[in-house]
Amino acid sequence: MTITAVDTGKPRSGTEQRPRRTMGDTARAYLLNAPAMIVIGLLVAYPIGYSFWLSLHRYNLKLPALERFVWFQNYLSLIGDPAFLSSLRVTVAFVVVVLGLTVILGTALALVLNETFLGRGVLRSLVLLPWAMPGVVNGLMWRTIFDAKTGALNGLLLQLGLIDSYQAWLTSPTGAFLITAFAQVWNTLPFTVIILLAGLSTIPSEQYDAAKVDRAGVVQRFTQVTLPWLLHPLLIVLILETMNAFRAFDTIYVLTGGGPGDATNVIAVLNVRTVLTYTDFGLGSAYSWVITIVTLVISIGYISTLYQRGRIEV
Amino acid sequence: MTKKVVLHVLAIGFALYLVVPFYWIVNLSFMHEVDAASVPPHFLPDNPTPANYLGFVNPSTDQALVGSNAVGDTPYALLNSLVVAFSTAVVNLVLGTFAAYSFSRIQFRGSQLLLIVYLLTRMVPGIAIIIPFYLVMRTLDLLDTYGALILSYTTFALPITIWILKDYFRTVPRELEDAARVDRCGWFRMMWTVFLPISAPGLVAAAIFSFMTAWNEFMFALFMTSSISSQTIPVIAANFATDLNTQVTLMAAAGVLAVVPPLVLVLICQRLIVQGMAAGSVKG
Amino acid sequence: MTPQTSFSRRRVLQLGALTASLPAIGSVLAACGGGGGASSGAVKFSGWDYESALVQQNVDRFVQLNPDVPVEYTPITSAQYVQKTVAEFTAGGGPDALYVYDDSLAGWVAAEYLQPLDGMPGVDEVYAGIYPSNAEAMTIDGKRYGLPYYTDSQCLIYNEAILAKAGISAPPTSLDELEQQSQRIKDAGLLEFPIGLTAQLQDTWWAWVWGLVFASGGDMFDEAGNPVMDGADPTARNVFAWLQRAATVSKVIDPAVLQLLPVPLDDAMKAERYAFTVGARYALRDYNDPSRSKAAGKLKIAYVPSLDGNVAGTVSNTRMYALSKDTEVQEKAFKLLTYLGGFTDGVPYTAKYWFQKKGLGFPFKKLEEDQEVQSTLATFADPAIYSGLAGIARPRTAIKQPWYSEYENEQQKAVQQLLSNQTSPDDAVKGLSATVTSLKQKYS
Repeated sequence: MTITAVDTGKPRSGTEQRPRRTMGDTARAYLLNAPAMIVIGLLVAYPIGYSFWLSLHRYNLKLPALERFVWFQNYLSLIGDPAFLSSLRVTVAFVVVVLGLTVILGTALALVLNETFLGRGVLRSLVLLPWAMPGVVNGLMWRTIFDAKTGALNGLLLQLGLIDSYQAWLTSPTGAFLITAFAQVWNTLPFTVIILLAGLSTIPSEQYDAAKVDRAGVVQRFTQVTLPWLLHPLLIVLILETMNAFRAFDTIYVLTGGGPGDATNVIAVLNVRTVLTYTDFGLGSAYSWVITIVTLVISIGYISTLYQRGRIEV
Repeated sequence: MTKKVVLHVLAIGFALYLVVPFYWIVNLSFMHEVDAASVPPHFLPDNPTPANYLGFVNPSTDQALVGSNAVGDTPYALLNSLVVAFSTAVVNLVLGTFAAYSFSRIQFRGSQLLLIVYLLTRMVPGIAIIIPFYLVMRTLDLLDTYGALILSYTTFALPITIWILKDYFRTVPRELEDAARVDRCGWFRMMWTVFLPISAPGLVAAAIFSFMTAWNEFMFALFMTSSISSQTIPVIAANFATDLNTQVTLMAAAGVLAVVPPLVLVLICQRLIVQGMAAGSVKG
Repeated sequence: MTPQTSFSRRRVLQLGALTASLPAIGSVLAACGGGGGASSGAVKFSGWDYESALVQQNVDRFVQLNPDVPVEYTPITSAQYVQKTVAEFTAGGGPDALYVYDDSLAGWVAAEYLQPLDGMPGVDEVYAGIYPSNAEAMTIDGKRYGLPYYTDSQCLIYNEAILAKAGISAPPTSLDELEQQSQRIKDAGLLEFPIGLTAQLQDTWWAWVWGLVFASGGDMFDEAGNPVMDGADPTARNVFAWLQRAATVSKVIDPAVLQLLPVPLDDAMKAERYAFTVGARYALRDYNDPSRSKAAGKLKIAYVPSLDGNVAGTVSNTRMYALSKDTEVQEKAFKLLTYLGGFTDGVPYTAKYWFQKKGLGFPFKKLEEDQEVQSTLATFADPAIYSGLAGIARPRTAIKQPWYSEYENEQQKAVQQLLSNQTSPDDAVKGLSATVTSLKQKYS
């Protein structure tokens, strides 16, 4: 996937031959897009528009008499809403930890897989395993591992002599937070590795050879040859994983339900609870739009930062 | 030399990280329920039993009680998941190919904006649209059918599918098309016989991506379905967790079954997936 | 709903219909689906999926007795029941007859999902025959909305054998005594953490918190739904202080309770990993069933311990059957409702069925004297205490407030923070009181 900012003004082999765009081309392009646009338009555009419309309303199913149009009042109320603010703090921390771990582990894993060694094929297959696991199953799996009474982790650590007695890992706020982040990373790592591996596979081997001739060390080779080629795939990873992390729900819901206290009450969990349990559709829709806008702004931020530094045109 | 050592240590470390958690539920799935709760835990089943898996075909009275017949439903849920995920992948490829072709070959007004709009639809959280979406499905009389799920997941996966495909299509040399055109070959025929076969890695990568999106999704599946005629495996897996008669070994077995079909699929296609994604990852 | 309301549920429906401009796609896709066919005047009946096979059996029996009333029964995952039902009603496709939690009743009445049953045949008799707390829980603004499914009240469940090993002959009556007895069990090396509870965040209530406060004669709210926990009534604060002490100082409450859901707690009780818990009476039926529990026969019922040792009360819940407002088969649906939640030939057949099969608490006073019920009860709990609890139980005070579910969630979080020593009892009650104030503002 390429990023729009990069696309603009960059000549491509195909378009060079026909620089003039004709009306016929545009019509043809939209004709080709029509099926996708119709499906997305009919099925998603209305729900999205409707949810924004709802977010401008005071609308709780339990209070039909109080329904009314309130402009941006739902959004303004968020500034003084302790539930939202605490959830925002947790979410930001969650996104940062998940992204950090994903990028570090994903890059390391992709680099390892890009080398030749015995068993590379096996590891390459193993990396796909977490991708095949539905979020709900992922949550259930980590529950049985971190369980305070029968969990595998407790058993393992005790047998290794690292703990004296079974610990309730999910009951401390920090523990629960780190474990949910860890479980989320495990589940989403494969997609990251695939993208990064795909990026690595396109580095021309002459570049490495050149670096070898220059007697560049491992670190130098990484920063001078590999990293520039990885910037673009990393950007895609950052955008997609930011979207995923802001929307992370299944795993957390099954693992902690948002607790203990507010420790893992990320905005997606709060959002689902507000809409479906508290039936506050107005406020819930406002939460959703905050997530959307934050994700959008961050994505644009990633793109423009890299674009301005001119590193994107590898 | 040190590099080799570091490499192998890292490789083994990552292999353990990836496989040990899954191994634990595989291990549980072959245990008797009593052993699953033992302290210290058994890292190998003492006397392994296939009973949990056999239960899905022919549940015992105890097993049948779990999760309002979640055990009996599991094979059907797997089938439903397969049908839904496969159909989602196919529908996505068809719709995505047309759209992606336009982005890769035609310079047209609004193309940038359209691409962004596609992606924007993926930034809105599912919970925001689930109620109106439910309504649309109800109006179309699609609730509790495969149709509702296939349509939902198509809209989820289509934007990314288009992005993956358009990048791959750009790597296909234009000369091939021109050659086909010289042969007075129609566009559809050209696509079918020349363009798409060459784009196979991109198509596979996009198809797998949509398949996984459909396979893993939980919340829409929960809301759009109400019976085993369309419930998918995450919905049934959740039943194992919430029920009063739950058995952790059965739940583990269902979890393992939920992972196997997509895993087999990605293992078969792994080389093509990386190739297919490579086009877009780097080319500007 | 007033006519000038900007968007009523029906308006939502119209908007939905507008988008359905491609019915052709619809029918094609429906064809590859499977289910989803239009029903032929059958009563659509849905409930959470507790023992759905037994429900189906009972419904089948009803259909046999009433061949003119076909019933389509749909069980829905318990954890998502409320959410899914709300979605169905919002989209205009709700069931005709359905289970309702007392927690949801007021909200669903306000949202106009349900219709009152006043004046329908047999309703007065039902309400005259049930415990006052159940009648109160099913009445909103003077109108009756439900026929009872089951009720249960919170009790102390203790493992007599473990207590005996520690040299204790009688269960605790006060919270201090509960702590001391737990300490003795701990000191005797029998169990590291004698008290188990369920304290992972859930969308359903934590009955035991309310049970502990009501048992000590206090409440979180006054009659009008104003918070009293941070002022007029110190009970909640003192109960919170005890909880925190028991969890973090004497360490008799298992720290792992924060990740314990109801099912694993039941498993732990049956495996004798805890000596005490506060739970619903019907759990004892399962705990004392030799085919399902290693501890069968050892688990006993007692009044919930209080701050001062006196028996002052407990909390009860009421699960009910209700009738949807927009049902097109009202008469048939009500027939089903009567079969499930009322009398058949003078006997509350279904209520008794559930008690006999699963021990679910019966809402009908008369069943206390029923011979079969008595003999079943004797197999799992002391009948005197069992009935005594039903007599003193009352529903949650704030349950009919529109903000109740938000409050319950905050209360669960506060108790989690107390148990893990993240807050103090004073701050907890202050915080909850402030929560109520801001929720009231939000809902006014």
